[in-house]
Amino acid sequence: MAGKIVADTLETGAGADIATSHIVNGTAKFWVNFNGTGTPATNDSHNQSSLTDNGTGDFTHSYTSSMGNVNYFSVGQGYYNTGGNSALIQWTLKNATGGLASYLLTSSIRVDVVYLDANQNRTNYDYTGNWGSVTGDLA
Amino acid sequence: MQTPEFQGTHLWDRLGWAKENLEGYQSDYRVVYEDSIDECAKILVPDPNWMAAAMQGGILPPVWVYWELAKDEAQPDFKKHTRGYLLHETEPVEAMTEEEAIEYLIKKDVPQSVWQTWDEGNRPKMVICRKEQLPATREWRNAWRISDELNLEAA
Repeated sequence: MAGKIVADTLETGAGADIATSHIVNGTAKFWVNFNGTGTPATNDSHNQSSLTDNGTGDFTHSYTSSMGNVNYFSVGQGYYNTGGNSALIQWTLKNATGGLASYLLTSSIRVDVVYLDANQNRTNYDYTGNWGSVTGDLA
Repeated sequence: MQTPEFQGTHLWDRLGWAKENLEGYQSDYRVVYEDSIDECAKILVPDPNWMAAAMQGGILPPVWVYWELAKDEAQPDFKKHTRGYLLHETEPVEAMTEEEAIEYLIKKDVPQSVWQTWDEGNRPKMVICRKEQLPATREWRNAWRISDELNLEAA
């Protein structure tokens, strides 16, 4: 490292301050932008070692720097554009038929990318645009 | 570009340096494996930024660190990691070739039950291949299996 700043508080010129712990703890610890169609590929990311295609709209993201526990928060969305139509889709924790512990780990997260029909039924689907993010504590 | 001396530097900070200074590397290698008879074949895709860090050297911890953390997490009373320092304080590994990086990644992200016994059954349950060897379309994706010819096919 070229240098290191050690500080407990950051302060603006106007005198407003914030504890550096807010930044350390509140920063996203993982994010990814990937294409889920064809042979899936990561367009860009941070703190991801691999993307695993488990099936249609079913992906595992593995972390390089592990999370400290499984209380972390994840969020994501997707996008598709076909025939001039586009829609938002959902990124959800993998349907927990195998138990939540199987899919939410400190080393990885397995998610379903789904759309909801008019009756709110979930359908897994492979979209071109997918974005996910995780916030929580690192190990 | 020379990797800074990262001994004892938090892994998160090392990844931040890599993100700022290294160009992502899109590997054409894919790892296809089957870890459950109830599920189709899975395809592991290396992350381009991770590949760049692996091939640069001096950034990633040795893979055994992840095995130790996985052992801790497998304990029934696990609440949170108490040995995260292994990620940050263990001396980073040297630069890897692309193939060595894929081997490391298999040992990190593919279940041990797969890569430790990948060729002990009637047919292999893991294959390393090139992206172009995979089907170009995702038809029957949820029925893909590794065939005897080491290609994927609909079951």
